[in-house]
Amino acid sequence: MAIVNGNSNQMLGGGRGADALARSIGHHPVAALMIAAAVIGVLWLILAAWPAGFEDVFGRKRLFINALFNGVTLGGLYFLVASGFTLIFGLMRNVNLAHGSLYLFGGYMGYEAVEWTGSWLLSYIVAFVCCAIIGAAMQVLIFRRMEGQDLRQTLVTLGLSIVFSDLMVWVWGGNTFQITTPDYLMGPIPTPIVVAVKSSGEAIFLQYPRVRLVIFAAAILIGIGMWLALNRTRIGVMIRAGVDDRDMLSVLGYRVQLLFLLVFAFGAGLAGMAGVVGGTFQSISLGEDSHFLLASLQVVIVGGLGSIPGAALGALIIGLSEQIGLVYFQNYATVLTFLIMVIVLALRPQGLLGRR
Amino acid sequence: MSTIAERIAAAGTGNAIELRGVSRYFGALAALIDITLSVRPGERRAVLGSNGAGKTTLLNCVTGDFLPTLGTVRFFGEDVTTLPPHERIRRGLRRTYQISLLFQRLSVRDNVYLACRGVSRGRFSFSRTRASDAIMQSVADLIALVHLESVADSLVGELAHGQQRQLEIALALAGAPRFILFDEPAAGLSPNERADLVAILTALPAHIGYIIIEHDMDVALRVVERVTMMHNGRIFKEGAPQEIEADPDVQQLYLGGSHA
Amino acid sequence: MTVTQATGSGSIGVGGPQPDSVVTRWVYAHSPILLLGLLLVLLPAIASDFVLNQIVGWTLILGMIALSLMFLAGYGGMVSLAQMTVAGVAGYMITVLGASSLPSISLFWPWWAAAPLAIIIAVAFGTLAGALSARTEGIYTIMITLAIAVAFFNLTLQNWSIFNGFNGFTAIPAPIVFGINWRAPVPLYYLILFFSALSYAGVVYISRAPFGIALQGVRDNPRRMEAIGYNVTAHRIAAYTFASLIAAVGGILLVWLNNQISPGTAGIEATIDLLVIAVVGGLGHPIGAFIGAIIFVVLRTFALDALVAVGFDGRRFQTIIGLGFLAVVLFSPDGVIGLWQRWLARTRGLSGRKVR
Repeated sequence: MAIVNGNSNQMLGGGRGADALARSIGHHPVAALMIAAAVIGVLWLILAAWPAGFEDVFGRKRLFINALFNGVTLGGLYFLVASGFTLIFGLMRNVNLAHGSLYLFGGYMGYEAVEWTGSWLLSYIVAFVCCAIIGAAMQVLIFRRMEGQDLRQTLVTLGLSIVFSDLMVWVWGGNTFQITTPDYLMGPIPTPIVVAVKSSGEAIFLQYPRVRLVIFAAAILIGIGMWLALNRTRIGVMIRAGVDDRDMLSVLGYRVQLLFLLVFAFGAGLAGMAGVVGGTFQSISLGEDSHFLLASLQVVIVGGLGSIPGAALGALIIGLSEQIGLVYFQNYATVLTFLIMVIVLALRPQGLLGRR
Repeated sequence: MSTIAERIAAAGTGNAIELRGVSRYFGALAALIDITLSVRPGERRAVLGSNGAGKTTLLNCVTGDFLPTLGTVRFFGEDVTTLPPHERIRRGLRRTYQISLLFQRLSVRDNVYLACRGVSRGRFSFSRTRASDAIMQSVADLIALVHLESVADSLVGELAHGQQRQLEIALALAGAPRFILFDEPAAGLSPNERADLVAILTALPAHIGYIIIEHDMDVALRVVERVTMMHNGRIFKEGAPQEIEADPDVQQLYLGGSHA
Repeated sequence: MTVTQATGSGSIGVGGPQPDSVVTRWVYAHSPILLLGLLLVLLPAIASDFVLNQIVGWTLILGMIALSLMFLAGYGGMVSLAQMTVAGVAGYMITVLGASSLPSISLFWPWWAAAPLAIIIAVAFGTLAGALSARTEGIYTIMITLAIAVAFFNLTLQNWSIFNGFNGFTAIPAPIVFGINWRAPVPLYYLILFFSALSYAGVVYISRAPFGIALQGVRDNPRRMEAIGYNVTAHRIAAYTFASLIAAVGGILLVWLNNQISPGTAGIEATIDLLVIAVVGGLGHPIGAFIGAIIFVVLRTFALDALVAVGFDGRRFQTIIGLGFLAVVLFSPDGVIGLWQRWLARTRGLSGRKVR
């Protein structure tokens, strides 16, 4: 049976999106209406100046706008980490529990690179290369010998994460490191979003850190780049085919092992680069590996495993939920994100954009 | 084989299996197109066709492994289109698989036991079954029926292919089946084993109807009274075995087919 | 070699040849475990309080909680990383409902109200975890349960109104019942021994009951189980409920043994250590959980001195755990039990006896 329009297309974000969207709206008019109303509501919340009474009930608009922007840019960071994770799973069915360790290692290496050379951009390359090498080593030395034993591979990644984590504590201790933003990216950018209105009627606009916006833009570019690579290049076709049917790919004579190596190395490198981003945005220290592994897990559970658009959507949702939870529900912040995860698992176990 | 009339009398009126307008799409691929099919209780039907004709997909829609994209499925008058597989099984439907789906790390006896337990009470019971319990007698009877007494305590992984196919049939006969779906039961069997299979099928009680999917027309045409031919996801012809065998359209499509 | 391989031994309902008496045959067949049981019962007469509780008592409790993991993973094919969390929930609940060092949070209910309610809450939590992962593919279970475990850890860390943040609670004593002070070393030991023996016997017995056999069928071929009349999702969730009961009791005993609870009790390290225990011991038979536990406890207790003696930093315990775990997964995935079975097979083979 030749599958004309296989699952890989909808899973990795193929081109039939418009038709599918139209059909979905047709099938679920009420849900579509509700989503449209919500979108309009959120747009109003962002763009309009909040009336005084509104602010008394919902808190200051500045708080909300900051939470929103922080959430979205955090989502960009989570996307960088989670997309590597989801790619590795999608192709090799390996739940890489050492992904958080790769993130942290990349962050540490990036920090050291900046300390040594002073170049922020170079630190990305250093982090990517270091983590890609480790990822390649893991695939070639270990996982290649365990083809098809998904559980066993995952347990190995777990063992590796235990060892990596402890070794990193040994080298860098419990200290917190922050990668300094380069001068050309320091400072805020003015935006046209109104956060408050002075008593004189003059509007105050949001000033948001330039570096966060730049990194977010970079995350979007990387995401688009990945999508293009998966859908418009020959390697991308091979990867999508391999996601659909690994055995068929090797039967057809493609060098599957090389593909696995490249994908694992790339996914690991991406995690490492995300570490540099996180080190700049926030900081890196022990415990961040678990934090970002959890974030990756939450992102792919919500967005759908094996799907790049899913990782983007999931990252956005998780990032926003974390920030909003932090601002509005301090004592129970994690519960909000957990609830979202529970709801998605209950209604659509394969994730929002995942395939059954 | 007794006549259809006797069987209907035995089983009551109404269709055992009824499909209306059933279609099943996988993305752009249409595996089933507008299938309308009725099988009487106690009737023995063959569904034949080349690879890709949609036979197994049809079976899967009846059992609930897939849900049809369009159309309804009725089992003894009840609309089961959206019922999960285990609910349909508990209403008397059974099936076998083209490639035996058995519990490799359990013994033959355990496999049959699971099938018997699955359609009876006490699935969640915490108390062990004793050798003297009634269900163990059913298990023993089934094992004897498919001539597997000698290997009853061996692990399934150690059985020969033919023996695994026998076990596959035994699982479908557990409890009180009302209708069975056989998916290529003769696949990979030797001539002797085929003869055994035919014997088992023809010896089934009159009230148990079945649909058999087969490539091997020899086996299929001997054990059924009506044939449905499928081609490219549609029903192409229906009729008595002799009619189908002699039909020029069928012969053209399956020129050099597996029967003489 | 596979990672998960548990089968109850012997066929269902089979009598076999009848020797002298059923009891004699049973005792002979089970002599190793009966001898061990006898040793454990007599232990207080020969061992110090330290060995009794900190070594053996702790082993039995960890073994119990690991047993709940083994039940799900070995018999059900579901590797749940939420079992330590279930134990943690029970521990926290009995602390909050019963006695502790913080009258501002704890309710000081009597044990016969606090303990059952704590268990019920923990079992409900475990069942929810099961419900969330039961409808997904096998490999997702690790991810989802890990996410749940980390989410709970974060909650206990950040929440002060119920969980008292990273301080946790102290002074959580076992009650005085029937005139016996169960917090004293020897009675506490027997309490622990009783419940761990009960759960061990329970799991062994149930593995050959309809519920247990059905669970193994679900592990081996869920599609076929549906096709012979089983509601696979219901069986999986029921398995979680049963396993959570064992873990919950273990959690309460753990809290009574340690007389304290904090986020680290059910934290990420503890969660992963539990999986290490279960896998190293072997997921093939319930005794594996306790074998893994004694190895872990002995290592943990004496590792510091051993490491220093060899010249390493005594704090690199996690590296040892990680490397040991990796060694097992790479070379003997069925754990110590697997090693022992292969050794038995080799020696039997040498003596010419037929080997299965």
